[in-house]
Amino acid sequence: MNGYNFAYLDEQTKRMIRRALLKAVAIPGYQVPFGGREMPMPYGWGTGGMQLTAAILGADDVLKVIDQGADDTTNAVSIRAFFERVAGIETTTVTPAASVIQTRHRIPETPLEPGQILVFQVPIPEPLRFIEPSEQETRLMHALEEYGVMHVKLYEDIARHGHIATTYAYPVKVDGRYVMDPSPIPKFDNPKLDMSPALLLFGAGREKRLYAIPPYTHVESLDFEDHPFEIQRWEARCALCGSAESFLDEVITDDAGGRMFVCSDTDYCLTRRGELS
Amino acid sequence: MLWPTLNDPVHDSQRLFRQLLSAMSEPGTLHTLEAPSPPGGELGPALWGTLLTLCDLDTRVWLAPELDGPALREALALHIGCRLTAKPADADFALVTPAVLAEAREFALGSDEYPERSTTLLVALDTLEPAGKWRLSGPGIADRRQLGLGDAAGPLMSRLVANRDRFPCGLDAILTCGPRLAALPRSTRIEEVA
Repeated sequence: MNGYNFAYLDEQTKRMIRRALLKAVAIPGYQVPFGGREMPMPYGWGTGGMQLTAAILGADDVLKVIDQGADDTTNAVSIRAFFERVAGIETTTVTPAASVIQTRHRIPETPLEPGQILVFQVPIPEPLRFIEPSEQETRLMHALEEYGVMHVKLYEDIARHGHIATTYAYPVKVDGRYVMDPSPIPKFDNPKLDMSPALLLFGAGREKRLYAIPPYTHVESLDFEDHPFEIQRWEARCALCGSAESFLDEVITDDAGGRMFVCSDTDYCLTRRGELS
Repeated sequence: MLWPTLNDPVHDSQRLFRQLLSAMSEPGTLHTLEAPSPPGGELGPALWGTLLTLCDLDTRVWLAPELDGPALREALALHIGCRLTAKPADADFALVTPAVLAEAREFALGSDEYPERSTTLLVALDTLEPAGKWRLSGPGIADRRQLGLGDAAGPLMSRLVANRDRFPCGLDAILTCGPRLAALPRSTRIEEVA
């Protein structure tokens, strides 16, 4: 393995992360501090997710990495190549074939299965951070379950725009206790967090926090009785596979106003078009 | 007699950890750990494998008097290098039998601000079955799950039932019986059914 330990991290670091992961799973939605290590790439590129992946990965795992749903973008390709090199493991782009999926800001369209683990890359793990900059204060707010300000923020959206304008990193409450940032996934993906059969792990490298949602856990998106939570909808279908159910990206095709909508999940789209077996 | 350790520390501990992660994320599910079996028989392979996987020089371990002994201490020093503590409240991990929890020992429960700073109980049990009088629900459990732990588990379970009142503070327990293992994190709602 080119002189590296299996999966890059040393064993003591893996044990530290593993102990933190067990606590994170035991306290769903709570951010556990961990001794984040420097990874051979800058913060913001998924160092948190990579450390979690490195700590859980085994020689018989099959790894999939997606970036905004796509398997073929720089971040996804680089991280996949990294683990191929330092762990010598098999990788895939096919969602059902993967045992571990590291993701930047999407949940695959293909429903996850029991036994799969989804690892999210998280930039800012604290959902209250933009309301309260002090870590000491936000920690106390979580301890006291003092989440009123979060609803005030959503209410301000309604007052200004007539509807809740938060479209990504939409705050959720896990098992009726902790308010949690689901990472910048579109709110379209929020319903997939609720009662997911797969284990969901979240890693923030710069902030050195990790958290988890065990399988089959109630996760509700915050809302109001008269302004219930809603996901994005499109008038268009995917221009390539015709899906009316998936999350669509708008792609500009020329400089004359031409555009089309295509699935953000490349594996889902290619499979539907029959280009993958 | 020398206690055995993992043949392949990197890959064996990864495999055991994934079983622990699976046990903790789906409370009450039974897992059979392929880990070396210590001589004597007080500690089964599941408990010893868990210690080898999770503990190192960064962790403090408390040993229940009935499990403590020179052979165990020597093995911990040789293979794991963890620090031992005489105060249960300082322990990251506590090696216990259910009877120990009948005594008024104060393990770390964490604080409201830092609930993860709590003791994880590593329990040696005589019985661990997928059916029994303990009914579990909560995160990691789609509907309900049952667990049978024998009559001796009473004091342990009354502590774990009390977890719910103090959430997010509380004790997480890894239950072992020979090679079998299950976990009961503090998030699990536990009921005793007839």
